[in-house]
Amino acid sequence: MPKTRVGVFICHCGNNIGGVVRVPDVVEYARTLPNVVHAEDNLYTCSEEGLSSIKDKVEQQGLNRVVVASCTPRTHEPLFRGACEEAGLNRYLFEFVNIREHCSWVHMHDPVMATEKAKELVRMGVAKACHLEPQEDFESDVFPAALVIGGGVAGMTAALCLANQGIQVYLVEREQELGGLIRGVQTLFPTEQNTEELLHPLIEQVKNHPQITVYAGTVVEKTSGFIGDFDVAVRANGEASNLKVGTIIVATGAEELKPGGLYRYSELPNVVTQLEFEERFKAGADLPRSVAIINCVGARIPQRTYCGRFCCTTAIKNAIWLKEQDPETSVYVLHRDVMAYGVAIEEFYRRAMELGVRFVRYDVESPPQILGDARAEAIKVQHQLMGKEVVLPADLVVLTTPLVARDDNEELSRMLKVPLGSEGFFLEAHLKLRPIEFSTDGVYVCGAARYPCNIPESVSQAYAAAAKASIPIREGMVRVEAITAVCDERRCSACGNCVEVCPFGAVELQEGRFGKAAHVNPAQCKGCGCCVASCPSGAMQQRGFNDRQLLSMIGALAEETTSGGA
Amino acid sequence: MQDKLREIVRKMLSDGDIEYFVGYCQGSEAHRIVPCFVTEESEVEKLVWGPLCLQNLSKYVLRTRDLDGKVGVLVKGCDARALVELIKQHQLERDDFVVVGVACEGQVDPRKLERELGVPLEQVGGIEDGGDEFLVHVGEETRKVAKEAVLRDKCFFCKHPPSFDCDYTVGEPEPFTIESDRSEFAGVEELEELPLEERRAFWRKQFERCIRCNACREVCYACYCTECLFDRNVPRWLDRPPLLEENEIYHLIRAVHLAGRCIDCGECERVCPVGIPLSRLYKKVQKDIAELFDYQAGMELETVPPLVNFDLDDQDPFL
Amino acid sequence: MAVHDTESGGNGFEPKILVFACNWCSYAGADLAGVSRLQMPANCRVIRVMCSARVRPEFVITALSKGLDGVLVLGCHPGDCHYSEGNYFTRRRGLLLQKLLQYVGIEPERFQVRWISASEGAKFAETIGQVTDQIKALGPNRSQNGMQPAEPGDS
Repeated sequence: MPKTRVGVFICHCGNNIGGVVRVPDVVEYARTLPNVVHAEDNLYTCSEEGLSSIKDKVEQQGLNRVVVASCTPRTHEPLFRGACEEAGLNRYLFEFVNIREHCSWVHMHDPVMATEKAKELVRMGVAKACHLEPQEDFESDVFPAALVIGGGVAGMTAALCLANQGIQVYLVEREQELGGLIRGVQTLFPTEQNTEELLHPLIEQVKNHPQITVYAGTVVEKTSGFIGDFDVAVRANGEASNLKVGTIIVATGAEELKPGGLYRYSELPNVVTQLEFEERFKAGADLPRSVAIINCVGARIPQRTYCGRFCCTTAIKNAIWLKEQDPETSVYVLHRDVMAYGVAIEEFYRRAMELGVRFVRYDVESPPQILGDARAEAIKVQHQLMGKEVVLPADLVVLTTPLVARDDNEELSRMLKVPLGSEGFFLEAHLKLRPIEFSTDGVYVCGAARYPCNIPESVSQAYAAAAKASIPIREGMVRVEAITAVCDERRCSACGNCVEVCPFGAVELQEGRFGKAAHVNPAQCKGCGCCVASCPSGAMQQRGFNDRQLLSMIGALAEETTSGGA
Repeated sequence: MQDKLREIVRKMLSDGDIEYFVGYCQGSEAHRIVPCFVTEESEVEKLVWGPLCLQNLSKYVLRTRDLDGKVGVLVKGCDARALVELIKQHQLERDDFVVVGVACEGQVDPRKLERELGVPLEQVGGIEDGGDEFLVHVGEETRKVAKEAVLRDKCFFCKHPPSFDCDYTVGEPEPFTIESDRSEFAGVEELEELPLEERRAFWRKQFERCIRCNACREVCYACYCTECLFDRNVPRWLDRPPLLEENEIYHLIRAVHLAGRCIDCGECERVCPVGIPLSRLYKKVQKDIAELFDYQAGMELETVPPLVNFDLDDQDPFL
Repeated sequence: MAVHDTESGGNGFEPKILVFACNWCSYAGADLAGVSRLQMPANCRVIRVMCSARVRPEFVITALSKGLDGVLVLGCHPGDCHYSEGNYFTRRRGLLLQKLLQYVGIEPERFQVRWISASEGAKFAETIGQVTDQIKALGPNRSQNGMQPAEPGDS
């Protein structure tokens, strides 16, 4: 094996480092370290001059490891790795030591200690560098097709976005008809148009698009694989098919809560949910003379703390519709707060009031009571503002319930290895920074599958999910940084610890040349190192952060401790 | 019981159900019982059973895993916990071996027996179970020794894996019970209550005596790694010389590797040539795991080992 | 000799403390402390790992047995791990290891785990200051074979 030849480059960073740390002392110290054949200081190692120096020295001195001691790797690591590569040295034979953010900038009043610390950090960096190994980034092909699970507004919009980019899309819908949740809705807010007017063109576009294959009446049975190479088994009327896709979008939506046990819903024939109201009355049934709409049914309670977000809007929409059919109808909306966010919905709310819809606030502790024997006839409620109990006429009681997570979410979440939140909806990778993705690469989510949302929100999210899902397909491959885990099969006893702990399901036990052993899929591995830490024999290691490298740093730090203090 | 055992094994061998049986047989001295392999019906007479059958034979099942032919094994309830863990840890498949469970009324700790008898163990001719006592043959006499005085520590807190099914049983194996005012973690609690400096001194003294013979590792069912971390040169975790600093690393790392896997079989302590009270180390980890994560190794096939699992509500003193 | 105060009573003991910091949260938090010029004692040496879950208990045991005065493991707040679940394992391992180390007579302050997010530069500085002070007050780690402190009663 060629002798290890380490080059160390200590940066002054103008005055940022050099003003506190005695850089020349550190350079001199670096020269005494094992395997170091070259050490120099630079004013700015990241400058053209500095980078050239690195490249020159690699060539001239036959350096096979480069250590730069300067700022934080989180800024310039790619730059220096690039310089190494240009000089013909594998980019992963480079180690970064932070003597600015972690040293000169935080020990400004103690140059002596700061210099000692810089020396030790360099000693640790050199020790690790000696054990670095050349690595190649792993490239994985992406199959040029996408799967959209769910044929509602979100799913169809995402499918069209992808298809319009020329990407092959498989749209799988459980029901025989496309359209999803809003098929049960007759009119939409705030435009008050018929749902058909929105839905029909959308469905036609989807059905007729050459890049979209619709699988109606179909369920996803099994998925396996990883970004770029998912295998999906689907079944339609007993017939099974297999689809191969590069990315997957979850757009399975949600369902309306049927509030059994609340407000005598299951008991009385004229106590209905909003969707049931849509179905029954907007199709032409006789309209009641008095309607009481109760909001927050089964929402914002201890068992289900969230707000359904747009159900208030739905209630207002239907209240307005009732008044428009017959201004004489008495319409009461019993609410705990009115969620009318944004300009359009706030105006909608005001319009309802102008049309004579009465809004009555009730307390969660004293919910309305339905009066009547075989039918609901009236509602008794503690009117919060008036401070007394009132009885309101009610030929019809409409319960506004939130959307709840579908029962089949759990199965899908297990199949795709994506998580559910506490309320059973799909949980995104990061609430703020990654709202459309999962930690599992290649799977995205949009629409009510994430949390209750209205049509404009579903559509925006669908655009976002489609955009995200198209990127790997258009690039044709995914590149994985060479910090993935790798298992030495000879040393592996297949105890399975690594398989259990991997947050991404990237490790499996497989029969190999030396019997059963763990195997890491580099395309799924994110390089956290959790598996390495749980491997008792050290068979599992992480490229760039293996036990040997980290132990050498610990050893380098501990070795001169016996000579005492600073 | 011995006859029943031999009958079962004889039949299994003659029917071809198994190629080997791992059991106990007489060792070089009367008081020594050793593990043995029986492959022929003619050898079955060698098999014995009694209060000195101390080894955990599960370890040997692991070793036979790559041989042709099925293996049968004799297990006490405590040893069966190792089988449960080995199945959980993907080392064995239940269908690959035959289990003969034997009813055990407590095992003798040879060191305690010697102290109690006041004579060297070499003079012991044999031991039988006698209900509340052991019947110990010393020379011409048969002495009755109260079980409580010579029982292995672990037998006071006998645990069987509740739903592990044996293929055959000799007697009716059930967890052994005995009246006593001991508490399971007394040895640990005693140390926990000492001031830190005294604890330090205690363990330092123990670790200094370690000669790194690795007997504890060799006898442990859970130490099945193809290449032990401590044997590796690249990277080198330990240097060879049994210095305090190295020994400390060895014992602490072993305790961590066994966290959630130690079934308290007591073999490590039994085989330690310098008498380090290893149970006081491993039971500390067991106690913490039981308190923190409500988990005991070797009891259920379905439960997930605590260190490859987590709970969103785990204690968090690090906030 | 160091210029700043020593709290251990004037014998000038400067502990050497190993810190593991995860790339996404705590290392970034440490960088932020640097960018904000928050001053802190110079006794800590950071080893960067991608996730706190990479830190195996064996590292901590080895570091302390080889004479380092303290080990600090920093990770993301539980629930915010860049790799979803890594720090839950860190938490469990940390809990168990702390108790074990204390049991064999190593002062509890010598091994600590803290959660520091990328935006918590101030918390990083505070933590380093606090941990350094705690360990300084304890004196040198006597795990190491070579170091025979002069105190009596250490038989």
